Amino acid sequence: MNVIRRWMATREARKLWRNKSALLAIVVIGMYLLTALFVMAGGISRDTCDTVVGSNKLPGFFQQDTPEKRYENATTKFLTKIKRALAADDVGGALKEVNLGPYLAADQTPAQLQEIVDQVETLAAELNESPNLDNDPSMLPKLAELESVETQLKAPLSPWDQFIFNTSICLGTDSQGRSIFFRGIYSIKIAIQIGLVTALFSVALGAFLGAAAGYFGGWVDHVVVWIYTTFSSIPNLVLLVVLAYAFTNSAAKDTLLPVYIAFGATFWIGTCRVIRGETLKLKEMEYVHAAQTAGFGPLHILLRYIIPNTAHLMLINFSLLLIAAIKSEVILSYLGFGVKNQPSWGIMIRDAGNNGDVVGGFFWEIGFATVLMFGLVLAFNILSDALQDAFDPKHV
Amino acid sequence: MWAFTIRKLAYNIPVYLAIVMLLMMLLRVRDPVAGMLGKNSSAQDYINKRAELGLDTPFLVQYGKLIQSIVTLDFSQDVWNEPGVTVGEKLRTAVPRSLALTVPALVITTIISILIAMLSAFNRGRWIDKLLVFFAVLGMSVSFLVYIIFGQYFGAYKLQQWVGTPVFSIHGYEPGIMNWAFYMLLPVLISVIVSMGYDTRFYRAVMVEETQADYITTARAKGAPQSKVMFVHMLRNAMIPIVTRVMITLPFLVTGSILLEEFFGIPGMGYVLLSAIRNNDFPVVEGFTAVFAGLFILSIIATDILYAVFDPRVRLQ
Amino acid sequence: MVDKTIQQDKPILKVRNLRTSFKTGRGTVTAVDGVSFDLYPGETLGVVGESGCGKTVTNKSIIRLLPSHVTMYGDDSVVDYRGTNLLGLQEHQMRAIRGNEIGMIFQEPMTALNPVFTVGWQIEEALQYHTNLNAAQRRTRAVEMLRLVEMPNPEKRIYEYPHQLSGGMRQRVVIAIALCCEPDVLIADEPTTALDVTIQAQILRLMDGLKEKTGTAIILITHDLGVVAQACDRVIVMYAGQIVEMAPVRQLFHNPQHPYTKALLDSMPKPGRVGHQQRLPAIEGTVPSLFDLPDGCRFADRCKHRRDNCEASLPDLVSIGEGTAESKIRCFYPLGDVKESGAAS
Repeated sequence: MNVIRRWMATREARKLWRNKSALLAIVVIGMYLLTALFVMAGGISRDTCDTVVGSNKLPGFFQQDTPEKRYENATTKFLTKIKRALAADDVGGALKEVNLGPYLAADQTPAQLQEIVDQVETLAAELNESPNLDNDPSMLPKLAELESVETQLKAPLSPWDQFIFNTSICLGTDSQGRSIFFRGIYSIKIAIQIGLVTALFSVALGAFLGAAAGYFGGWVDHVVVWIYTTFSSIPNLVLLVVLAYAFTNSAAKDTLLPVYIAFGATFWIGTCRVIRGETLKLKEMEYVHAAQTAGFGPLHILLRYIIPNTAHLMLINFSLLLIAAIKSEVILSYLGFGVKNQPSWGIMIRDAGNNGDVVGGFFWEIGFATVLMFGLVLAFNILSDALQDAFDPKHV
Repeated sequence: MWAFTIRKLAYNIPVYLAIVMLLMMLLRVRDPVAGMLGKNSSAQDYINKRAELGLDTPFLVQYGKLIQSIVTLDFSQDVWNEPGVTVGEKLRTAVPRSLALTVPALVITTIISILIAMLSAFNRGRWIDKLLVFFAVLGMSVSFLVYIIFGQYFGAYKLQQWVGTPVFSIHGYEPGIMNWAFYMLLPVLISVIVSMGYDTRFYRAVMVEETQADYITTARAKGAPQSKVMFVHMLRNAMIPIVTRVMITLPFLVTGSILLEEFFGIPGMGYVLLSAIRNNDFPVVEGFTAVFAGLFILSIIATDILYAVFDPRVRLQ
Repeated sequence: MVDKTIQQDKPILKVRNLRTSFKTGRGTVTAVDGVSFDLYPGETLGVVGESGCGKTVTNKSIIRLLPSHVTMYGDDSVVDYRGTNLLGLQEHQMRAIRGNEIGMIFQEPMTALNPVFTVGWQIEEALQYHTNLNAAQRRTRAVEMLRLVEMPNPEKRIYEYPHQLSGGMRQRVVIAIALCCEPDVLIADEPTTALDVTIQAQILRLMDGLKEKTGTAIILITHDLGVVAQACDRVIVMYAGQIVEMAPVRQLFHNPQHPYTKALLDSMPKPGRVGHQQRLPAIEGTVPSLFDLPDGCRFADRCKHRRDNCEASLPDLVSIGEGTAESKIRCFYPLGDVKESGAAS
């Protein structure tokens, strides 16, 4: 506690607090973190992200689909399921199993349900006469009637379920009918997870190797420099892809482990270089010489003198690497090598690109993913800048 | 100067050899042959393929052969699903296409970024500087992918609708200078917009640091006009880190921008590499990544040499 | 533009009521508050004071090297050089003056030169801006200048880079650059502080010799009273942005009037003066922050001779005598003659 209080009183920390945009950025990051925790605690499960909640590519903000799509929604899917259940051997049992997203079959007798189905079919036939409902505004009232009748087939939702349903479609659905809103929010957890784990690991490894190389010099330095020159000779993307390739079909396929390893292997280099440079400078400082003369061992000096004086660089690097991880994940997922079987911003953007969302004028999926990502990345960019302003005397 | 060059080469060659070894090991983690042949191959096919690829020989022999290929630039193994086309040929055709995209992008980005950075650095603290930095940060916070998708949409598709005729191609590639603007200009522009945020910030930082140097004050006290101070005194010194950075990105020119090529269907080196990885095309992956790493090492050496040319202090080391 | 004839008894530079303020994140701060002095041809005027007292800002104001978008000058501030107010000039007009009529050299010779250009190039650059000499003539003049500043082997040195020279040599080059267009005024901002003592003596001697030859007036800024004693004809003592005393050098050292000046002189270590176990008499307290200046005399809280009214109101700068014998004092209770106040404490 005291260490934190002492640090807060330093000139650097005070400069940080005076920076209003940095404070705002910290608040924003905090909100993202809370959301991620909420998701992790089960607020939104993977299943929720995979459930179909509505028609494909439903626009957000509760806009209605085009009339043609509405017609199609009302006359297929749920209706088809009911009809099939009514034709089954065990009508009662089959009916109980009908659900589509949040909707269950209504609690009426099969005969009543059949009546409603017939009504719907009659209306549907009438509407069918018009070649294209999108261009036929006179048919809209009939369409509304069709929809209201069809709704009677569905058991009414409890207020809570209704709320959940509204939330799920508030930003529309993707090409498979899944909730954009939920997927986007879930992706926050993935992004933060990837970002934190990768950044922590990379900074830790990089700082460890960098400080060791800088402080001990000699063969340790040669080995470390040689390792990171080797790794940085392969362009990041190629290395990521090759590593991801090495992991396909392996046991860890569905987890994020390939992503962690791929990023971990490439991101530690930057931190290593920086910390090594700083250590080389600090090593020549007089207080280090004094400590060495006093007989303190290398570990003690590293931990008490070198590392604390490079802590600001590590913090700045952490922030920058987090951003890099989030952005790289998008690219990796797009190429097919990143996150699998879970929603992430990369996957959402890729889906939007590949499924003709954008070309068709449907911006909800890509928009939401981009906005969320933009918010987090921008906040971290501002924070990194503010940290550099406060701690790095040479920063501009 | 020569001693300098030779020292650099001598240091970097073992590095390169190690990289090739690392790459080879990574690519053999999963059995390449199994990947290439798929599930329905017979045992005999398997043995044949292994022999064909030389994978039944000891590792060091394979390593030697690969190094030999690289040095003689002769990759005679066939591409997997294009019989008769050697890896070498694929390299030769793919590289110029990547370059047609990345070289103009690099040139344009560097020039524009330096100019903007100078504008920013010399007006440091004033509103124009803050505005430029603000936009740079905003630009950096959006994913490359989003720029590509929207670029394609608005730059090609929508533009075509508004103007009536296609201005930029949405997809595809045809060789030839005449076709360049149609197929390549849009990806080049997207590449420039994406890089500008990073480059401008970095160059600005370098320039501001130089601007605060004492020799700038001396130059001003001599009565030097602002233009001379900027373009002669400051830029000459700032070029050192700038050139270093540009040089490091040179090998990436050859990789091409993997994403842009994917999206726009340009069959450059990145595109070919990616397809090869997806198709488990072992010879191509091995050959390309080895060549690439070689180019990277060469560029590191070239950077060090260029550094010495620009900075007289380094020459006397 | 300016009249080049020099009259020995008229000041070549007249600074009147110079007030320089900066706009900072924490408000407007006035670094130089009402400074006035004259500079006569061929003399060396020393400006002494602690770090932050405003010596550098004063001199950078004369040559207008402060960042224009945050610097403000007082409405009645005048820097009169040969009849023209420098504060009112446009930038391109100032440029014709900088390096040409008024030169300035700075503290750090190690970083004052551009590392990527040769020494010769840097001298010739100044000549290029202000003279009509062709390339060959510039080259010759550059060599001459290096010879003038006592640089050994000037014909070869022309082609060398700054990092190949030692600190003392670099400072000579800097002086050569500043003097190559024969300015009338040279402002030297702590030119010897970064050099070791033996080189310091050489440089000071060099500057003195050059002054004899070219007739340039020098404003020598320093915090080292030893340098003042050696090199200056007259001295200005500054404290917290104001002049507190000005006097010819002998008078300042032998008969200081302002308590601050006296305290500075007392705090200098002198062999034999201080006994073995005695402490060096340092001045207690610290310089007031420019953001929080007192209403009265700015030195009052540290002054041993302080009396009641000292903190209430700011004393004016009172002038006695004229021309180069003029002295000024800003104190309600100047110390008077040494003989009167008894032995120095």
